[in-house]
Amino acid sequence: MTQTNEYTKPLPLITGLSKIFWDGCKENKLLYQECKDCGEVIFFPKMFCTNCMSQNLGWKESKGKGKIHTFTVTYDMAPPEFMPHVPYALAIIALDEGFRFMSNIVECDFDKISCDMPVEVVFERATDEITLPKFRPTNGN
Amino acid sequence: MSTIRGKAAIVGIGEVPTGMYPDRSFIDAAISVSADAIKDAGINKNDIDTVIPIGVVANSLDNANMVCSWVVEELGLGSVAKSNFQLMSGGSSSANALKVATALVTTGLSKAVLVVHSDRMGTGLDLNAAITMFAKASISQEYEAPFGFSQLALAGMLQQRYMYDTGTTERQIASVVESLRKWAMLNPNAMMKKERSADEVVDSPMLSSPVRKRMMNILADGAAAFIVTTKERADDMTDTPAYILGMGSRCTNFTVTAQPTNIIKAWGPAAKEAYEMASVGPKDIGVAELYDAFPTFILISMEILDLCKRGEAGKFVEDGHTSPGGKLPVSTNGAMMAQGHTGAGGGVAILVEAARQIMGKAGERQVKDVKYVVETASGGVGMDFHVGILGREV
Ligand SMILES: [Zn+2]
Repeated sequence: MTQTNEYTKPLPLITGLSKIFWDGCKENKLLYQECKDCGEVIFFPKMFCTNCMSQNLGWKESKGKGKIHTFTVTYDMAPPEFMPHVPYALAIIALDEGFRFMSNIVECDFDKISCDMPVEVVFERATDEITLPKFRPTNGN
Repeated sequence: MSTIRGKAAIVGIGEVPTGMYPDRSFIDAAISVSADAIKDAGINKNDIDTVIPIGVVANSLDNANMVCSWVVEELGLGSVAKSNFQLMSGGSSSANALKVATALVTTGLSKAVLVVHSDRMGTGLDLNAAITMFAKASISQEYEAPFGFSQLALAGMLQQRYMYDTGTTERQIASVVESLRKWAMLNPNAMMKKERSADEVVDSPMLSSPVRKRMMNILADGAAAFIVTTKERADDMTDTPAYILGMGSRCTNFTVTAQPTNIIKAWGPAAKEAYEMASVGPKDIGVAELYDAFPTFILISMEILDLCKRGEAGKFVEDGHTSPGGKLPVSTNGAMMAQGHTGAGGGVAILVEAARQIMGKAGERQVKDVKYVVETASGGVGMDFHVGILGREV
C-alpha cells in the first residue's frame, strides 16, 4: 500500500467503440474515423456517419499534427482529481486531418501557449491499459 | 408559412429573491412564484391546464417530485389540469419552455401554461448532484474526462479564443461584470448588490486563464415562474401583456470539442429567424436580456444578435452603453453574474426580466419606452442558442 506513483486522475470510459481508439493509443497511434461511402472525417468515434448515416466507417491513423484552437491554463478550482496537478494546460486541438481533440499541452512554458500554435502528439502512459495522447509545441518541422 | 408572431403572450410573472435562503423550502418557493404569476396575470388559476416545471439540479428527489405533478396538487389544479411534464435543457430550458408553451396555446391544445422553476443551488446542493452537474455533465467520458475539463475551463477556453479573434481586452470583459453589478444594485431580487469595478475584476486571482475569480458567477437559491396564454385571452386579462413576437434557435453539439469552430456563424441563423419572425431589427431593440453564465458569453451574444459589429462588443460595454442610463441596457436583472446562478433558472430569470421590462414593472431599473426586448438562452457547454423577441404591441 505504499505505491506512490499510482495514477489518480480519471481514466477514459471504455466501450466497444472507444476501446479501438484507446488500444490505438497504447500503440502510440492516434486513430480517427472516415466514412468509406462519403469521405466524412468523424471524431469522436461514432456508430454511424454523421453526414450520410452509413455504418461503413473505417479507422485511419492521424499524423498527430495540428493547431491549438483554444486553451486554458487552470490554476485553481479544478476538478478534485486534478487539484494536485495545477497548473495544467487544457486545449482543443484542431488536427490537420480535420477533426478536433481535447487534451493537455505539455513540455512547454504555459505562458508561451497561444491560439493557432502548431502542436504535435506525444503519448504518455497512464496505466498498463491506458496511454493518453497529449500535445506539445512543434519545434521546427 | 404560418407564424406564431403575436399570437401568444406572457401575461404574468413571479420571482423570489435569489441568494442564500436556507430556511426557504424548495416547494414554498415554487408555489409562491406560481401564485405571484397567477395574481400578476389576473388569471383564474383554474384556467391553467398545463404545468411545465423546469428541471431541478440541486436535489434529485425535488426534481422527481416536480415530474410527478407536485405543483398541480399544491395549486389545486387537479380537476382542470391536462398535463404536467418537465422540460429540461439546462440553461436554455426557459427558451424551450416558452417555445412549447406558445405552441400549446396557439394550437388550442392548452388554454394557459404555467412554467415554473425552483432550485436550491446555494444552500441545498447535494454533493453528488454538484459533481454530476459541474464536473461530469456535457463531457465525453470516453475522450474528454481524462484531461481535466470543467465548466470553469470552458469559460477559459471560450474567452481565450474570443480575445484572440477580436482583440477584446481583459478589462473590456471585466466591464461586463461592472455593468451587470450596476443593474443588480437596482434589483431587489439580485444577490450581488455591491458595486464592482472592472479594475477590481482584473486585479482578482487567475483561476483558469484568462478567467479571473471575479468573472465567476455564484451558485444561489432561486425561483421564478411565468404564464403563457393566447393573445385573445391576454387582451381580456391584462393591460400589460408581453407579446411573443419571434423566436429562433440552433442546437449544435453535446461536447465543447464538437462545438462549431465559429459559433457566431453557426448560431447566427437563430437571431436572423427571430428578427424576421418578429419583423423587428437589431436597431429596434430597447433592452437586451442576454444569458451569461460568464461575461464573454454576453459579448458573443451581442455580436450574434448584431447589436454590435464583430469585435466591438467589449468596447461598447466598457464605454458604459449597456449600464443603467446607457443606450442599450443589457441584462437588467444582473444576469447570473450578479443575480446568482440557480441551476437551470438563469435563463428563466432572464426571460422573466424581459417580460417585466415590456410590462413596465421593473421598478427602479425600468427602461423607458421599451417597445421590443430581445432575450437569449443557452444550455450545456454552449450546446445551443435561443433568441426570443417580446413586444408591447403586436
Ligand atoms: Zn458518410
